[in-house]
Amino acid sequence: MARMTGPTRLPRIVDVLIVGGGATGAGLLRDLARRGLRCLLVEKGDLASGTSGRYHGLLHSGARYIARDPQAARECIAENAILRRIAPATIEETGGLYVATPDDPDDYVDAFADRCDAVNVPCDDEPLAALFRREPALNRQIRRAYRVPDASLEPWQLVEANLRDAADRGSQALPYHQVVGMERNGGFVSSVSIADLRSGTIERVVPRIIVSAAGAWAGRVAALAGIELRMSPGKGTMLVYNQRMTDTVIARCKPPGDGDIMVPVHTVAILGTTDIPVEDPDHYEVTPAEIEDLIYEGEKLFPDLRRMRILRAYAGVRPLYAAAEFARSGELAGGDRAISRAHAVIDHESRDGVANFVSIVGGKLTTYRLMAEQTADVVCAKLGVDQPCTTADEVLPGQGSGRGYYWLGDRLAAHEATGGGDAALICECELVTRPMLEAFLDERMPCSLDDVRRGTRLGMGPCQGAFCTFRAAGVMAARTGGTVAAQAEPVEDELVAFLRERYRGTRPIAWGRQLQELWLSTGIYWGALGLDAFVSPGSEAGDGHG
Amino acid sequence: MTIADIVAQASAPGQPRSVGLSADECLKCNVCTTACPVARVTDLFPGPKYSGPQAQRFRLGSELAPGSGRLSVVPSPDRSVDYCSGCGFCTTACPADVKIAEMNNRARGALRSGRRPRLRDWLLGQTDLTGRLGGLTEPLANWGLHNRLVRVLIDRILRIDRRAPLPRFARRSFRSRLGRHWRGRWSANAPAPATSVVYFHGCAANYYEPEVGQAAIDVLERNGFTVIVPPQVCCGLPLISNGLYAPARGRARSNIAVLAGYARAGYRIVGTSTSCTHTLKAEYREMLDIDDADARMVAEATWDICELLVDLHAQGRLDTRFGALDRTLPYHAPCQLRSHGIGLPALDLFELVPGLRAIDLDHDCCGIAGTYGLKSEKYEIAMAVGKPLFERIRAGGAEQVACDSETCRWQIAAATGARLRHPVELLAEAYDAYLAAEP
Amino acid sequence: MATADVAVVGAGLAGLTAAIRLAEAGARVHVLAAGHATTHWAPGGIDLGALPDSRTSQEAIDRLAMVPGHPYGVLAAELPAALAWLRAVLAREGFELEGAPGDPLRAIPTAIGATRLAALLPAGMAGALPAWAPDETLVVCGPAGFRDFWPEAIAGALRRPSSWRGQTPPGRIEAVSVELPGLAGRRNLSSLDLARLFDDPAWRRAALEGIARAVAARSRAPGRVALPAILGLNDHPAALAAAREILPLLPFEVALAPPSVPGLRLYAVLRGALRRHGGRLQVGEAVHGTIDAAGRVAELRAPAAAREFVLSAGAVVLATGGIAGGGIVADGPATLREEVLGLPVDGPPAGNWLSDDALSPAGHPLETAGIRTDRHLRPVAPAGSTADGRPIAENVRVAGSLLAGQRYLRERCGDGVALASGVLAARKLAGVAR
Repeated sequence: MARMTGPTRLPRIVDVLIVGGGATGAGLLRDLARRGLRCLLVEKGDLASGTSGRYHGLLHSGARYIARDPQAARECIAENAILRRIAPATIEETGGLYVATPDDPDDYVDAFADRCDAVNVPCDDEPLAALFRREPALNRQIRRAYRVPDASLEPWQLVEANLRDAADRGSQALPYHQVVGMERNGGFVSSVSIADLRSGTIERVVPRIIVSAAGAWAGRVAALAGIELRMSPGKGTMLVYNQRMTDTVIARCKPPGDGDIMVPVHTVAILGTTDIPVEDPDHYEVTPAEIEDLIYEGEKLFPDLRRMRILRAYAGVRPLYAAAEFARSGELAGGDRAISRAHAVIDHESRDGVANFVSIVGGKLTTYRLMAEQTADVVCAKLGVDQPCTTADEVLPGQGSGRGYYWLGDRLAAHEATGGGDAALICECELVTRPMLEAFLDERMPCSLDDVRRGTRLGMGPCQGAFCTFRAAGVMAARTGGTVAAQAEPVEDELVAFLRERYRGTRPIAWGRQLQELWLSTGIYWGALGLDAFVSPGSEAGDGHG
Repeated sequence: MTIADIVAQASAPGQPRSVGLSADECLKCNVCTTACPVARVTDLFPGPKYSGPQAQRFRLGSELAPGSGRLSVVPSPDRSVDYCSGCGFCTTACPADVKIAEMNNRARGALRSGRRPRLRDWLLGQTDLTGRLGGLTEPLANWGLHNRLVRVLIDRILRIDRRAPLPRFARRSFRSRLGRHWRGRWSANAPAPATSVVYFHGCAANYYEPEVGQAAIDVLERNGFTVIVPPQVCCGLPLISNGLYAPARGRARSNIAVLAGYARAGYRIVGTSTSCTHTLKAEYREMLDIDDADARMVAEATWDICELLVDLHAQGRLDTRFGALDRTLPYHAPCQLRSHGIGLPALDLFELVPGLRAIDLDHDCCGIAGTYGLKSEKYEIAMAVGKPLFERIRAGGAEQVACDSETCRWQIAAATGARLRHPVELLAEAYDAYLAAEP
Repeated sequence: MATADVAVVGAGLAGLTAAIRLAEAGARVHVLAAGHATTHWAPGGIDLGALPDSRTSQEAIDRLAMVPGHPYGVLAAELPAALAWLRAVLAREGFELEGAPGDPLRAIPTAIGATRLAALLPAGMAGALPAWAPDETLVVCGPAGFRDFWPEAIAGALRRPSSWRGQTPPGRIEAVSVELPGLAGRRNLSSLDLARLFDDPAWRRAALEGIARAVAARSRAPGRVALPAILGLNDHPAALAAAREILPLLPFEVALAPPSVPGLRLYAVLRGALRRHGGRLQVGEAVHGTIDAAGRVAELRAPAAAREFVLSAGAVVLATGGIAGGGIVADGPATLREEVLGLPVDGPPAGNWLSDDALSPAGHPLETAGIRTDRHLRPVAPAGSTADGRPIAENVRVAGSLLAGQRYLRERCGDGVALASGVLAARKLAGVAR
């Protein structure tokens, strides 16, 4: 996808301005572009750097919601089937197993299969012998298991593929662009001011419709249009394990709770999750108590979990729509988890008297396409467009033609097929080669190393950047003569920023080998490479992301 | 390929293991790469870090759970791991206790599982079979294996390098020369455990170097032991290192069935091949997932002969009446010995022999690594690995060199022309020298 | 069971120093190590001490010696003799250490284009020590396709005056990548591979001539050329001499991320010295021991194939490193454990281990964690216990970065502490030799 380098010239007039570059925004951009509308998407950070990029990697079968939210379960299984068709290259066919540990309630376990049936989630009894043969790390006290079509889903590639499809149809997505103001003209937003965060320039765009797909930040975007929209973001903390102790998604047969699901994602396994309300989606921390809670619960699935190495802890904020809002709309009420998975398209014309402003709130990654479709239907109705939605039928770009689903060994096999060896490996843990990195930079410069990470998995392995950060910075510098061209950002500042970002995830779980790894990394950067020369005291950017 | 497909292909589930989990310990620090003798000389092997803990992250079904592991069930997607010689220096050098060489070995096994083995690898794995056949057809076999034309043919057809060091079959096997020794399974009539040891001679002493077996018997008897030589088959290591785990398990079971009886009764099992003894001690469990009570009994009862003699010495029970051997003796410690984690006991013993000036050659690997250096595509690598060692031996000019492992002895002898001897042969000679010198 | 007069646990600079000194004195020494770590990681200089505002290493040493609980309080006095000894050991193999503790600390360019402070460097790196003249050019030169050294990035960062810690930078900084002979298409190309190539006289001449042409095209004297630390592994003195002869500007090596070629060279010299004096070295051993009722450690054990390896010794030097080396392990977010003997670890309270900022100049509170000892380097009972300060293992000496109270990365004192404590531990145990 062609992206502009240097300060971006924005289009003056667009059909639809989408605020938020997560999965929903990207899916909406694609949907509307396919219906012939010219759209612009702006994202204040990197694409998929918010909640979409900070989730646990699960393509839901719906089994998680069978009891509390049958509607969500139905949506999940329908979308699950669609995504397998349109985005197989972003999916690893792990399958999912819901297992009954001694701590799980009998009535829930016994009713599980019937409830799955009721919402069309395929569910098979898994013989215990087969279960333990396939997943020997599981707790031997597990007394029952059900196989469901859960899978592992890679969010960054999914978002990228949606944006690419939109770009092929003339709709553009701009990272590091933030909406900083909206001009109201009575019951109408007449123009939107958008800041290019890297160059500092601000331009005005006139959209016919504005859609906020800003997730947990939707309240802030709405506020710019003078609309009150109460979100209650919920923090979900996850632990990244260094190795896959399971090749299947494993979840507990019980009402959803903390630390009850393990998802193998690429080379790692992610234990999720907690659910804690936070005030500010930009400032939250992962606490020791949450980590202990996750491990304590996770041990019920994998008794040796405490001995396994955790690479980092991170959190995402669920875009929960405040309970009061749901109550107002009469849809649902109850505790956070009870309502959290529902989504709603809010037409602010009827609700707040702003004719061309729509918010899409709530929801989850698995149903991003459905949310986009429902939102696009509202937008098209407003614009008098009657093109049908095609996103469920048309395969996304870049899905290949061969195997379909990706599998864990893909990267190693591909690298070996081109000769293998370590000379070209920039990130050894995740097998990111110099050509892969350069291809990404060709498309995305100027960008941060953290963008590179999301695009390539650079720095996501056990050493957490110890051996790849200076190499990646070197590749960047070799292309630009020492700076990240557009904003003349010195590469060494990128290096410092990336190591700080990696540290934030390591710090909460720094013990055992990961503490030793941190010491080794510090020895390399501080001891051998003199990184402290780049650091002025107190220069840390404190954005607080876990 | 779905998980279901993969599982459908899986072989029988394994037993408790921790090799896969040890990848969790990797610091990515590159120390293993500094220790690898193969990556040092060839571009074909990307090194232990790449093939071990790094590639492990991309292998499905990695055996992660201690106490409940399984075999790798999908072929490893990397073929370059085949160039690992399995010497194990990476594992010893690793500061974080990652079982790198073992991981590579398993990956090789997985690479070959479900595929018909190459005839060459199958043959090289069957040292007991080839040994028996060779013994029967000796001297024809010896003529063939050392005839240039035949070797060229073997090279072409089988891909066993025509220059690679193959041993000579003994006219009569070690076992067939045994006379009065107890050669059966354990029974109450067997000689008493306190004053007896069980000798595991392995294929080398049996078919190629019966003089090593004889020296072991002489030295053990000199120290008051009755030597028992029970029925045994190849330890299975050549099969393991050629990725042929299923037949290796058969060998292991067969040996354990015999040896466990002795181990339970309190006998020590002693071997003259550091490779065989390491297989009995560790590889049945680590590589073949055989971890039952019998296997553990056998492992714990097994001793390398020099290790046993040093232990006797520490207890004041070794007969130290050695005669003088006035010579300089370069000594090469084989890779498999280092995997024992027992230091270099041969050097301790040489210190006891008057006049003997042993010099630790201090080189990691001679290159042969069992059957690795015999293969046509690896012969040059193996010779390059051992080159500094060979040069040092040639420069030193000593006629004899000591080494505990047979394949290393054959490799070094072929490369240097020196006479290679097992340490126990020198001890036997030193005992003889004492007797000869006595008035 | 094996026996020795002294068992040394750890094969880093501290452990090897103690072992060689003991072996020189006639003791039967057996070194056991879990694996290789800091020798193969460290950048290769000899860091005795450097504080952001200290002018010389000696000044830093003197100041650190005054800090309560810092190992230099006991060890600073040992340093001159220890350093002289190390110079002699190195000289025997043709290695030279240039600079002295009393010399001004200099900002040495690094492989990310920052600088680090140093005063004492091996000859290969020492070309970076003299102050830069304003008319000098620094040419940063690396092999094309080598992933651990990026001349453009390094030169770009070095052009920022702030990278030089207030010292005068060279007048001009250039970057150049050079295609070295026969490397095209190499699938593996680590610093080790390159260093081994530089051991080959014919190859290195061709390579150096290529480098000389590229450097000459960029700059004329006066100036110096920064190369990655790859000038030979087993025959470094000859490779360095060839580089000095062939290159038009004075070359100096720049340390890289692990594996460290200069570290390996130093390790090879020390290992050779140990062997020459009859010391044994056994790597791959996860050693454990217990302190008996008499307050002694009589034997060390390590899991081996099937059985434990047992080493009986009259005394033990514990030099297993700190958290980086694996001598101290955090079992969870709140527990620190000394790996070999389970000695009490002196460190900050749980919850206060790490600073908020990854790159806080003060470092992490946990960096001071280690084993507290008496003046004889014997481990002592923890503060607050009834036996506070009294030795708890008579025949054990602690050396190197396992010692509590130092922040070796921030104070750059790790090599000095290792050397001095190794020498002192050996002297304290000289009596156990047979």
